[in-house]
Amino acid sequence: MKRCLPIFLSLFVLGTSIPVRAQTDAEVRARKDALDVAAAFSNDGFKIRDGHWCGVLKPHDHVLVAVNLYAGNQYWFSAGAVEPVKKIAVSVYDETGKQVTTESYNDAEKAAAGFSPPNSGQYFVSVDLVEGEEGSFCLVYSYK
Amino acid sequence: MIRLARLGMLAFFTGVSLAVGAEESGHLTADQLAKAVRSDSISIPTPGELFAALGKTGKTNWSGQYRGPIPVTYQNRAQIALNLGGLIADGFIAVEAKDSQQIKNIGSDIIKLAKALGVSEKLLGRGNSINEFADNNEWDTLQEELEATQNEVKLSMQSHADQDLVILVTLGGWIRGTQVVTSAIIQKYDERSARVLRQPALVHFMQSKINEVSPELRGEPLVKDVSQQLGEIEKLVSFPPDKAPTVEDVRKVNEAVGKAMTEIQSKEPPK
Repeated sequence: MKRCLPIFLSLFVLGTSIPVRAQTDAEVRARKDALDVAAAFSNDGFKIRDGHWCGVLKPHDHVLVAVNLYAGNQYWFSAGAVEPVKKIAVSVYDETGKQVTTESYNDAEKAAAGFSPPNSGQYFVSVDLVEGEEGSFCLVYSYK
Repeated sequence: MIRLARLGMLAFFTGVSLAVGAEESGHLTADQLAKAVRSDSISIPTPGELFAALGKTGKTNWSGQYRGPIPVTYQNRAQIALNLGGLIADGFIAVEAKDSQQIKNIGSDIIKLAKALGVSEKLLGRGNSINEFADNNEWDTLQEELEATQNEVKLSMQSHADQDLVILVTLGGWIRGTQVVTSAIIQKYDERSARVLRQPALVHFMQSKINEVSPELRGEPLVKDVSQQLGEIEKLVSFPPDKAPTVEDVRKVNEAVGKAMTEIQSKEPPK
């Protein structure tokens, strides 16, 4: 039962989050992939935040998303993308724009970055297209 | 079963592939940072995230942070939206306190306020779920349910052309959450706890969202007052990153958000 919880939560979150606009099929698939990655961290006690950001990745470009985090918490930022995207990467920057050291998970069109902010405040999550062509992606995050 | 196996593999792969991946050489320009996406659904943390951070530094007397019942018969839609956010934050407090009865009471009030705004009938089902999870002491699931309830309220507002009220729900939740956290920190001051209060960009973002709502809503006395107070609160939570707020700093934030909360829950809106 306990092992089913991440799946249940993924579906639950998938079903209830607020779309900023109507999502394309590709974004729905990307979001499912991002939630799959995030669900793996649920086994370590991370709670998936009921919110997401979906967009389009372009070659040699990245998408930056601003988040506000609390010192003391641990975070994982998980992203999923769909064909023709082949490989993505997730990285985190502090409010001055300096890249912070993160743990990373990379598996082709899925990636995640984890870290514990030393200070509360604004951080920036970057999702980069490493290989492939323009395509949809989705970002979710979890915390504990 | 296949899905379970996939997740197991993913968890295993994650476990073995963890590495200190990023290099510290990367730097973004101010222009790049300014163009970053900012959205209510991912850039504004939930009360649950704030309470989780506070909980790291020791035991918090969550039930000591309860407030008395608030009126659920407001006539003003902006006031209802602000109070709805505050009530949802109260729900998160009750989850932290693991208090089934309190969660049920708050869940019932949330539904009453939401119905007053004419949001989806589906919310009635949420009320039943909250009661069921509270009876079974399913605290993690309850937290998810509260987040989902908040999002469903916002989604319903969007579909009823009440988009402008969404930020007020978020703001009400943040003000109530901050009131509770500052109060808990004052009761048992600890530098690490106090560091959670540093959120100038977050307050600035909420202020900018309020500036985007319709002139009619922005001109309503309560919204106008809270918006003005938010400007003051932004200054109070703008601590340098390497300095923990003192207990006096925390007290000032507590007084400021307390004043806003009193106005929000008052039966008589400002004239």
